[in-house]
Amino acid sequence: MDPHFSCTACGKCCHGWLPLTLKDAVTHAGRFPLAMMWTPVRTNAKSYELATTLGATVRLPSRKMVAVLIMPTAYLPSSFPCPELQDDGLCGIHAEKPSRCRTMPFYPYREEKDQADLLIPRKGWQCDVSAAAPVVYRNHTILDRTDFDRERQELLDQAPVMRSYVEYVLKYMPWILNDLAAMAAKPTGGNLFTSLSSFLTATRRPDAAALAAAQAPLMQTMAERTRDDPALRDYHRNYAGWAKEMESLARRHTG
Amino acid sequence: MTPCPCGSGRSFDGCCGPILAGAPAPTAEALMRSRYTAFVRRDLDHVERTHAPEIRDDFNRGEAERVADEAEWQRLDVVRANEEGDAATVEFLIHFRRDGKDLRHHERATFRREGGEWFYVQGDVNPKGEPRRVVKVGRNEPCPCGSGKKFKTCCGAA
Repeated sequence: MDPHFSCTACGKCCHGWLPLTLKDAVTHAGRFPLAMMWTPVRTNAKSYELATTLGATVRLPSRKMVAVLIMPTAYLPSSFPCPELQDDGLCGIHAEKPSRCRTMPFYPYREEKDQADLLIPRKGWQCDVSAAAPVVYRNHTILDRTDFDRERQELLDQAPVMRSYVEYVLKYMPWILNDLAAMAAKPTGGNLFTSLSSFLTATRRPDAAALAAAQAPLMQTMAERTRDDPALRDYHRNYAGWAKEMESLARRHTG
Repeated sequence: MTPCPCGSGRSFDGCCGPILAGAPAPTAEALMRSRYTAFVRRDLDHVERTHAPEIRDDFNRGEAERVADEAEWQRLDVVRANEEGDAATVEFLIHFRRDGKDLRHHERATFRREGGEWFYVQGDVNPKGEPRRVVKVGRNEPCPCGSGKKFKTCCGAA
């Protein structure tokens, strides 16, 4: 039976990490504390070929190859709602919300034909998958593909930038290879984060100072909001450190 | 006297001090030491201006400032330094504490002299030892023992 799906605005998916296209990350740099998320994709994964196109191919110390997706990400603990999620469960920026939110529950980092399991609501989510909801996916094809195609295209457009960033990180932070290898060895995979400052430095963006100036107060606020929760210690440390980096970057190019 | 943070045993004013103030480093090792001292003293301008021009834009100044702030610098060990003309390598260990952990940074750095000034060019972190070179001698090549005979009729004779 073809899967039905409709959003009930339960807001459950509006929490935690939100991977953004580079374009969206820049547009919303005044809203989301940003970090660069690395996700290794193993050669035996269904999405490996696609990941080599959207991301970079990296040789691990074991000489095995792995694809790595680099996603500019709204870096929020899983318990934290999106800053734009309103009390009524609706999005405060619906008309201009990021591609990632529009395309949900589909995911263009995977092949179009490999989306079926994404239509099964995750634990606690209240998506409507009853017969009352419209059919959204048939014969491994997305029926309304506007948002999926747009997000995929943005990912394809930004791929060369992400590859040059990977080169930079492997040159200056080569120890990251060991972390990638450890994650790739686990069946469940994993993610790691690098700083926005490294991305801005590597890519020589002319708007680096403006982006950093927008990020600094967000990082500062998040550092304060995560200060007293021992479970969020790593988040706190990252926010506090990145706040300093963003302040420094903002000063450097404007001073 | 203020002992130099680089651990040379000399005073700061007689060691890294003048280099941080802009005097050219006499050797690549002296420059490397002064760059360590610059981190200890949070003088990141010195680190930045002693990067070779081709990597200067790659320098993540914000992150370097944060590291300089957060790390508790304990010791620098220069493992070996080789200088040949205007090129040099310096291998070193930096011992420091950060986030409550004792850490060690091991690097073999390459330096280049230009216009009488040394610059940091590149670094291999956790360098491997010098690769062992194994050369296979062809049967019909001159024997490496210097006898003048072919290898197969000399040391390579079965």
